[in-house]
Amino acid sequence: MQRRHLLQLSALGALPASLGLARSAWAQSTGAIQFGCPVPMSGAFAANGKFADLGMKLAIEQYGKALGRPLAYTVLDTEGKPATAVRKVQEASEQQGTRFFAGGILSSESLAMGKEAEKIGGVFITTAGADEITGKDCNSATFRWSVPTFGAIEQTVRPLADLLPKAKRWYTITPQYVFGDGLLSAAKKVFKDKGLEHVGNSYHSLSEKEFSGYLTNAMAAKPDVLLLLNFGSQSSDALRQAVSFGMHKNMTILIAWASGLEQFESLGADLCDGIYFGAQYWHTVNAPLNLELVKRSQEKFKSNPNYSLAGSYICTKLLIDGIIKAGTVDPKAVVAAMEGMKYAGLTGEEEIRKGDHQVLKSYYLLKGKPKAKMANKDDYVDVVSSGKSFLPVDQTGCKLG
Amino acid sequence: MSIYLLQVINGIGIGMLYFLLAVGLSIVFGLLRFVNFAHGAFYLLGAYFCYQMTRWGLSFWLALAVVPLVVGALGWLTEKLVLRHVYAKPHEFHILVTVGLALAIQELVILQWGPLGDSVAVPDLLQGVVMWGSFVYPKYRLFVIGFTAVLAVGLWWVLEGTRLGSAVRAGSESTEMVSLLGINVFRIFSLVFALGAATAAIAGVLAAPIRGAEPFMGIEALGVAFVVVVVGGMGSFGGALVGGLLIGIVQSVMSTVWPEGARLMIYIAMAAVLLLRPHGLLGRKG
Repeated sequence: MQRRHLLQLSALGALPASLGLARSAWAQSTGAIQFGCPVPMSGAFAANGKFADLGMKLAIEQYGKALGRPLAYTVLDTEGKPATAVRKVQEASEQQGTRFFAGGILSSESLAMGKEAEKIGGVFITTAGADEITGKDCNSATFRWSVPTFGAIEQTVRPLADLLPKAKRWYTITPQYVFGDGLLSAAKKVFKDKGLEHVGNSYHSLSEKEFSGYLTNAMAAKPDVLLLLNFGSQSSDALRQAVSFGMHKNMTILIAWASGLEQFESLGADLCDGIYFGAQYWHTVNAPLNLELVKRSQEKFKSNPNYSLAGSYICTKLLIDGIIKAGTVDPKAVVAAMEGMKYAGLTGEEEIRKGDHQVLKSYYLLKGKPKAKMANKDDYVDVVSSGKSFLPVDQTGCKLG
Repeated sequence: MSIYLLQVINGIGIGMLYFLLAVGLSIVFGLLRFVNFAHGAFYLLGAYFCYQMTRWGLSFWLALAVVPLVVGALGWLTEKLVLRHVYAKPHEFHILVTVGLALAIQELVILQWGPLGDSVAVPDLLQGVVMWGSFVYPKYRLFVIGFTAVLAVGLWWVLEGTRLGSAVRAGSESTEMVSLLGINVFRIFSLVFALGAATAAIAGVLAAPIRGAEPFMGIEALGVAFVVVVVGGMGSFGGALVGGLLIGIVQSVMSTVWPEGARLMIYIAMAAVLLLRPHGLLGRKG
């Protein structure tokens, strides 16, 4: 079964979600510990949300029970909008007593849901990227698994600049919201450190689909590297259009925050060839938990896990492990149990930093390979480098009570 | 070449695609007095049918010829089986039925092809770019401009130079009068609706190698089509062309002047036209 085919089944669930209803999956068990999966199930980021649903399902099924109680979860369609996301979290809390949430694809919705989780006395863990989530807007209820924008840039722009010492002129295309600004400011810092020239930036809105105008700006600036700081279908559209303008032949293109396998499948091997991508997760990483997840995903879905699925899986797993370690479902005790937790994660040894609730894990720089050199249908890229880069807690701006 | 001139040329390319998106919506409204919220769904089907055909190994050119006919036939059926029964009802029914249709088509697309987007390769003949000095432009986008221009002339000729066009234009003035002249207005309605669906499908096929095919592209396209129709004037063929070009150029030029507001500017342009010419640039009063 191909990944998109299994999603055809899960897509059946998107119909009620698109009509504004929450889809309860495994949510009817009496006395169950309730989890919420607040992700976009409609709109431009729905594909990510649908994989996240599968990731949480896999983790819930794997454990089955915790503290002798069954586990249940509900998918909450945030539509990628902070206000909707907050309302769905409130409703799940009031109507089902849900206190444990793993989700949020966009930084803006994750920031809003983190605040709401703190207000209702819950626990929220996300894969969204903005530094603020575990930075100046951190709070005691919010955790983050993914590497924030700072680390994503440090592990992509810096090694690529080392790889291409003659590439001095960089142009950026940035979505104008908290995530894009985070990536841009981190990139500017690396440009300054490495003596690179930032020859221009084009901001665009979060609803943009037509990038030819911004690409025309970029071509006029004659950069050596085009750095795309957008995410999901926007970075795919920007790359597709950049390649159609022949820009991949005249300059190096880097997507600093790619969503990995799902994005490569959507783009196809020809568009990925020679392009650099930053990624939170890649299914070939040789870590015991990752090998186990790949096996489970192969058994259950007959496909390799992608970032959205893997991110949701590990976030849910961390919440369940926190509950088991705490020996109670009291959210404050679960938070305390999760703080400082070291574990064998999907990217190797990972740790939840107590000072800001940030998981310390690796980030990857990948390079698309020619179709002829792909060993199997998912072998789109080579791993160029990987590593961990995080600001020290005292520089993140995070002050947990 | 000045960056602004480059952006104007690029804007013409975007605008021609917007014209093609909007013209069907505009003609259908002009004749049927019916706002078709399912128009974006026909664009979506156009892109996905093209994707499927190329995935089967068939040529893009065959898709460009066949897909509009298939989607046009679906439009014809939709008009006959569904929409015809709500013409006489209040506008709320039109909105409910067409929005429902759009959602159903979108979810069927997700069921068939999944929620991930897909890429459609540019045909081999149009791979690469052309260069004039510092101006670089994809050959495929140039083809889209030329093809759409030819299509626009063809559509104009159908509407202005044929008996069918006369009936459509007369029908948009008074369907009762046309009916009294012995013309089967329902057949004209079906034909025009099918034509609208087919033009949306052509836009979908042409857009697929530029933007790929993804399940939510219909909603985005519908928003742009409404802007173009409102700017150009509801029911006006020329208005769709002028509106499409204007919006495309505004969006492209603003990508340089105020990049973060480029998208916003197309709505500001629409608001400005609404204030200064409430019936659109080439629309009629009443």
